[in-house]
Amino acid sequence: MPFSIVAQIAVSGALMGLVYALVAYGFQLTYATSKSINFGQGELVMVSAFVSLSLIDLGLPYWAVVPLGLLFGALLGLAVERAAVRLALEQKSEGWILLTIITGLFLFSAAENVWGRDDRPFPTPIPSAPIHLLGVDVTGLEISVAVGVLAVMGLVELFKRRTLLGKAFEAVSADRDAGELMGISATRTVMLSYALSGGVAALAGILVSPITTVGPTMASAMILKAFSVAVVAGLESGFGVVVVGLFLGALEGLASLYIGSGWREAPGLALLILALAVRPTGVFGKAVIRKV
Amino acid sequence: MKRLLGLLLCLTATQALAADTIKLALTGPYSGGSAPMGTSARDGSKLAIEEINAAGGLMVGGKKLKIEIIERDDEAKNERGALIAQELAAMADLSGVIGSVNTGVVMAGDKHLQEKGITKIICPAAGSASMTQWLDKPATNDKPAVAGPKSLSIFRFAAHDAVQADLVVAEAIARGLTKVALFHDDTNYGVSGRDDMLAQIKRQGDKLTVLTQEKFKIGDKDMTAQLLKAKSLGAQAILIWAIGPEEAAVSNGMAKLGLKIPLIGGWTLSMSNYIDNAGANGNGTLMPQTFIEEPITPRAKTFIESYHKAYGVTRIPSAVAAAQGYDAVLIFAAAVKQAGSTDTRKIHDALEDLKEPVDGVIATWKKPYSKWDPTDVTTHEAFRREQTVMGMVKDGRVVFANEADKARLQKRGAK
Amino acid sequence: MLKRLLLVRGAEIALFALLAALPLWVQSSYALGLLTLLAIYGILLIGLDVTVGYLGQVNLAQAAFLGLGAYVAGIGATRFGLGIPATLLLSCGFTTLVGALLALPALRLDGPQFALATLSFTALCSTALNEMEWLTNGAQGLSITRPPLLGHLLTPRDFFWVCLALLALTWVMMRNLLSSQWGRAFEALRDSPIATDAMGVGTYRHKVAAFAFGSGLGGIAGALYAFNFQYLQPQSYVYELTVVLLLGVVLGGRKSLWGAVVGAALVALLPNLLSNPVLFRAFAVIGFAMAAIAAVRGLVRRSTRPFQALAPVVATGALVLGSFLQKNTEDWRKAIFALMLFSVVVGLPEGLMGFAAGALARLFRVAPPPLPPAASLDEVLPARATTGEPLLEVRALHRHFGGVKAVDGVDLTVRAGTIHGLIGPNGSGKSTLVNVVSGLYTPTSGELLLRGLPLPRGSLLQASRAGVARTFQNLQLFTGMTTLENVMVALRGAYRLPLPLVLAGFGRPEERRAQAEALALLALVGLEAEARTPVMDLTYGAQRFLEMARALARKPELLILDEPAAGLAHPDVVRQVEVIRRIHARGVTIVLIEHHMDVVTSLCDVVTVLDGGRVIAEGPPDQVKREPRVIAAYLGATAAEPDGPGPVAGAPAAG
Repeated sequence: MPFSIVAQIAVSGALMGLVYALVAYGFQLTYATSKSINFGQGELVMVSAFVSLSLIDLGLPYWAVVPLGLLFGALLGLAVERAAVRLALEQKSEGWILLTIITGLFLFSAAENVWGRDDRPFPTPIPSAPIHLLGVDVTGLEISVAVGVLAVMGLVELFKRRTLLGKAFEAVSADRDAGELMGISATRTVMLSYALSGGVAALAGILVSPITTVGPTMASAMILKAFSVAVVAGLESGFGVVVVGLFLGALEGLASLYIGSGWREAPGLALLILALAVRPTGVFGKAVIRKV
Repeated sequence: MKRLLGLLLCLTATQALAADTIKLALTGPYSGGSAPMGTSARDGSKLAIEEINAAGGLMVGGKKLKIEIIERDDEAKNERGALIAQELAAMADLSGVIGSVNTGVVMAGDKHLQEKGITKIICPAAGSASMTQWLDKPATNDKPAVAGPKSLSIFRFAAHDAVQADLVVAEAIARGLTKVALFHDDTNYGVSGRDDMLAQIKRQGDKLTVLTQEKFKIGDKDMTAQLLKAKSLGAQAILIWAIGPEEAAVSNGMAKLGLKIPLIGGWTLSMSNYIDNAGANGNGTLMPQTFIEEPITPRAKTFIESYHKAYGVTRIPSAVAAAQGYDAVLIFAAAVKQAGSTDTRKIHDALEDLKEPVDGVIATWKKPYSKWDPTDVTTHEAFRREQTVMGMVKDGRVVFANEADKARLQKRGAK
Repeated sequence: MLKRLLLVRGAEIALFALLAALPLWVQSSYALGLLTLLAIYGILLIGLDVTVGYLGQVNLAQAAFLGLGAYVAGIGATRFGLGIPATLLLSCGFTTLVGALLALPALRLDGPQFALATLSFTALCSTALNEMEWLTNGAQGLSITRPPLLGHLLTPRDFFWVCLALLALTWVMMRNLLSSQWGRAFEALRDSPIATDAMGVGTYRHKVAAFAFGSGLGGIAGALYAFNFQYLQPQSYVYELTVVLLLGVVLGGRKSLWGAVVGAALVALLPNLLSNPVLFRAFAVIGFAMAAIAAVRGLVRRSTRPFQALAPVVATGALVLGSFLQKNTEDWRKAIFALMLFSVVVGLPEGLMGFAAGALARLFRVAPPPLPPAASLDEVLPARATTGEPLLEVRALHRHFGGVKAVDGVDLTVRAGTIHGLIGPNGSGKSTLVNVVSGLYTPTSGELLLRGLPLPRGSLLQASRAGVARTFQNLQLFTGMTTLENVMVALRGAYRLPLPLVLAGFGRPEERRAQAEALALLALVGLEAEARTPVMDLTYGAQRFLEMARALARKPELLILDEPAAGLAHPDVVRQVEVIRRIHARGVTIVLIEHHMDVVTSLCDVVTVLDGGRVIAEGPPDQVKREPRVIAAYLGATAAEPDGPGPVAGAPAAG
């Protein structure tokens, strides 16, 4: 197999991997503050994408839809926090696992009935014509995904480090009780993290929809991979998801080429179980010393 | 709790006893990935039922009876399909069932209907493994001979996959191609389609060389790896068996990689979730069709218009499925009328020997079915190869690939 | 006793009798299909409950084991002409083995990581089943004809009875297993893996066993599933199903056989029953009424939070509205299912059976079976001769964390029959030293000898088995259990019955003996009256005493008490000194880490003082207290108050 083809496959896979990384980043944001993740994150991606599509259908220009879509995603994130997460956190139970699954199921069914069961194209002003870059073909859309993913993750990290609110976020992430003693409301911080996570999910939806199309099932294939990326990278590792996302995406493409397209996901999955067995807190996670 | 449950179970089983309607069950995947096909067929069927009911119903035993719909979503899950079939089989006065998209659902469920002798018309899809193909099997080296059923209550109203594969392969050969890549999804539908195409290539004289067989999963949108392999091996065409969204991803991937070769595949390439999502990249794609959403006959025109109006759409999600759902109801209704009964066995007998032709939107159906014969594949199949034509995607619509077909069908419509 | 037998066993027998009789009475094949599915899912969920309920892990692999079991049975029956009993055994054996193998890498994981590892396994399995077309026929599915059972052709009704009989068998065997030491060990693992190892139970072995049991039941369910539907496709056993199964366990109620079967009924039947508009309306209205009543009661009594009371009312209210306004409910079926589940999970976090069990317990007040009389302490903890020979020898021990030298070359000898005090300021390395000795940490270098033999390094379990028992400064009790059960988990040498006999229900005598022994140890620390009390309800002081009783259940040669008096009120400290003396009187050698100087002085024969990871003094307590280096270490370099218990005794319990 010529090198150019291998490179093309690896690059295309890695670019899809960035989308997994962005959704995985949404998992990390909420895990940091509350040790909980939204198992219905995929539905957040999907519903936000559908809402953005509806706004475009109403005649709003694309660049106006993007912030509105993000805002909607954030609101939806808040709703999930209120309906499915807060009670469980207050009761220190793991009820959030089921409740987020259930809200996801509800959103899925509602979306099927509101927007129909069909996949639909998502118009975008970004050109989809291929560009020849360093020997591989990439489209403008794919570049926009890469730029968008990295930009938003950079912005959120900057926010966490440079603003007062962001520092409160970091404080609660590091030690919830100590944060509360310093007068930071943990509940508010968790809400903030869910809003951010919802916004990130919406952005993932808006970025990836022009490539994958919008449909009720659009996120179901994505979400398992995003989950893998988040856990393998380590649920608290920030940019680690980018590396793992790129790697996993490229690995899938190459597995498809060398093992057979039916098995494309298998090496990633097997590697994942092994990686976790060796480093339970993730490749980029901090090792924990057992204390008693 | 348990007692209550038992009571509820009884209730479900016996709740509708009074028979002053014709009870017709519509089943299929109404949620999830195959929903566009399932809902289109269902809505097409409902359109026909509403028309019949608006006209007062069907004359049965001197009384006009309306059709009552029992709707069940099988979610494309075999387990649900089996349970729904059991539920329907347990209904005392069910006249018939129309539906199913997924082969697995049919395989898991239809045996229960067959056991109770309940008439079912498989529509709009479900591949080659359905019971209408349960023929006598001669003994082979490792297996004894298997006798097909003596009587069969399952009919099919869908283009047989083998017929479609026949057309797909013939089209590729007619275009003078010799090297192709087979693409398919990893579901039952895709894998059966692959096998059908391989069988047809062999049957039609091995004129095509299959360079590679590439798979993808439902929901995969990055086809780069598979397409590049086909490209590097020098494929002249891609023969595909999958459903709309993934087929669109293949078309878009071909455009990205500058792979300008024909894409030919099953009829799902005519569904809106292919055409819309592939956009301009879909132009020129070829697929066999039983119905093309072009108002070439007055009958088709009325159907298309009333569908658009009833469901508030400007294009049918899956025109083929909708038209098949519509025609299946008309054929079923004709059988009810001829039988003069709501009894599902009598309707079965009438279906096997329909006297009057049925004027549907796809065709005028003259004797679509005949008495079940376990040595003949075609007895419970409505579609013949001559009803199937090649369609081509052009600017967001499916048009006739060959003008000759259009003329032939127009002539029939005028007759 | 009789009442208990009647109510508890009676209800179980009534359930199975009713289920068995239903097909005689309801003729519909649909009802029979649903009942069969209920029995199969019942087995599947009882298996899943082992990991989800007892182990407390989110297990997303059960769908895969259902699939594997189904395919093994299907292939066995079609390719090799095996009968039903043989395929059941084969499916169960195969999935048990695979489950045990999967448990190996999944062993170190918990929380989201465990969930993901099991989920990946599910995805791998469905890929493999789909791709291995030569064996499984791939996506095109495997058609199976149900083989006859012992020459008898099974009707659907017979087959239902077979499934029900297996469910009953599973029920009885799992009840026997889970009420034995195995069940306690699983729960102990959930509450504190560290203490489980330290109590000699072995997290490794039990985690593997729990997972293997659950998987094996998944395999049995799979085989039945195969013969029920007679058509298999790999796509059936994926994420979606696995989530539904998880919902079933939690909705029904964790750690409960009843819960698993009720959960099975919910997830297997409800989605199908909802298709019927009459039933759906009935469910919606009943649910709304119940939620409304519960909400009013909860709000008036202030026993529930407003959200918990009102959210189910809103959700079920939406259902009632929907059931009357929306004509086509079939389209909204998944949303309806979601709303119902939401109401149950929010309103009844313990699951339906958790809630019902509480209500029934209040209604009937069944007394638990009486405990046996306590065994004699001489049997449980025979007095040892106090020889004064070296028992524990620590030589040149180092333990570094990165650049921090927590233990930096310690030499120490603990003589048999002594109480050896270990003191030093915060951060002096006391806790690290005992953590190394007890096997929690692996030493960086150095030697550890117990009775002159090398002590296993870096394994709590091995150290515990070698005869070292310990308590924990930050309590590591098994919080989901009673006081008695906490001690029973740790009992050394009490459980010798092989597994098959435990499953068959022969574990009862062994259990009673263990109870008697545990009671004797509780009496030693003065907790015999609290035997049935859940640990969560014990006072802090009582929990400290319980830790000691539990460690004693290891019948140790060396007992390490890590700041046992930390946080105790004065009367409790006095009692504790008394208890430690009693333990010492049995000939148990004790290493005591303690900040209360008066406790150390009154109890210890020898005291070793650590500072900065090194030994700075050793000798009888009175002598050590006067050492200038010791005083300097405690008070900083300058201050000198030779006899001062003050700041030393009052030092807070931390470090």
